[in-house]
Amino acid sequence: MMKCREVSTLVSTGDVETAPLGRRMRVWLHIAMCRHCRRFRRQLEQLRQRARAAADEAAAAMPADLPERVLRQLPRE
Amino acid sequence: MPDPSTTLDALRRRDDAALRRVVEANTRKLYRAARGMGHSNEEADDLVQEVFLTFMSSLDRFEGRSAVSTWLYGILLRKVQERRREATRERTHDPIDEAWEANFTADGMWLRKPVDAESALTASQIGEAIRGCMDGLPAPARDVFVLRQIEGLSAEEVRNILHLTITHIGVLLHRARLRMRACLDGKGWRTS
Repeated sequence: MMKCREVSTLVSTGDVETAPLGRRMRVWLHIAMCRHCRRFRRQLEQLRQRARAAADEAAAAMPADLPERVLRQLPRE
Repeated sequence: MPDPSTTLDALRRRDDAALRRVVEANTRKLYRAARGMGHSNEEADDLVQEVFLTFMSSLDRFEGRSAVSTWLYGILLRKVQERRREATRERTHDPIDEAWEANFTADGMWLRKPVDAESALTASQIGEAIRGCMDGLPAPARDVFVLRQIEGLSAEEVRNILHLTITHIGVLLHRARLRMRACLDGKGWRTS
C-alpha cells in the first residue's frame, strides 16, 4: 500500500499522469480509499480552476484593439 | 482546421489571412500568460507585440515540429526572462520542501489532514488573493504554474519551452502548488 506522502507528491508534481500503468493504478486505489488524499487532490483541482478564473479576470483588461495593433506593426517582407 | 504545413507555408509568405488567424488565436492567451507571470497591463501589451515581432523574424527557423502557440509561448518566456533583473538559477533546495514534509508522520501518513477548502471569500476576493499569492512565487515555479495550470500545457510542451527536464518541471509545479496552498490558507481559503 502506497503512503499518503508518496501519493500526494505524485499527484502534485503531475508525475502520476506519466507513471507506468501499475503505479498509476496503485495511486488511484489509494485515493479511492483515502479521504485525506482525495481532499488534497480536490484542493489542487480547485486551485487550478480558481487560478484560471483569476487569470481570465486579469486578461479581461486586454485592450480590444491589441490584435489589430499587432497586425499593423508586423513587417510583411 | 487548416493543414499545419499549409499554414506554415502561408505564414512564411507573410500571407495576411494566415497572420491574422495566428494573431487572433494567440493574442489573448499571450496577454493572459504575461499578466500571470507578474507583468502589468502595459507590460503585457508591450510583450505581446514584441513576441509577434520576434515570431515574424524567426519564422524561417520555425520548422513546425511544435504548435505555433507553443513556439509563441517560448518566445514570450524568453522575453519575460530577459526582463527579469536577476538571472534565476535552478534551485536544488527550497524551504517549501521541509514545510511539505512537516505535513506527514514518519510513516508517511497525513499529520495535518487536508480539509475541503472552505472560504468566506467572494469570487473576486479569491481572484485577488490568488493573484497576490502568485506574485510571491519564485520565477521558475511561477512560469511552470502559469503554463501548466492556467494555459493548460502538458509537461512535454512546457519542457520544449523552458528546456527543463520533466522531473524538474514536476518539482517546480509541486512547489508552486504548495506555496499557493500555504499562501491562500493565510488569506481565508482553509486547506488543513
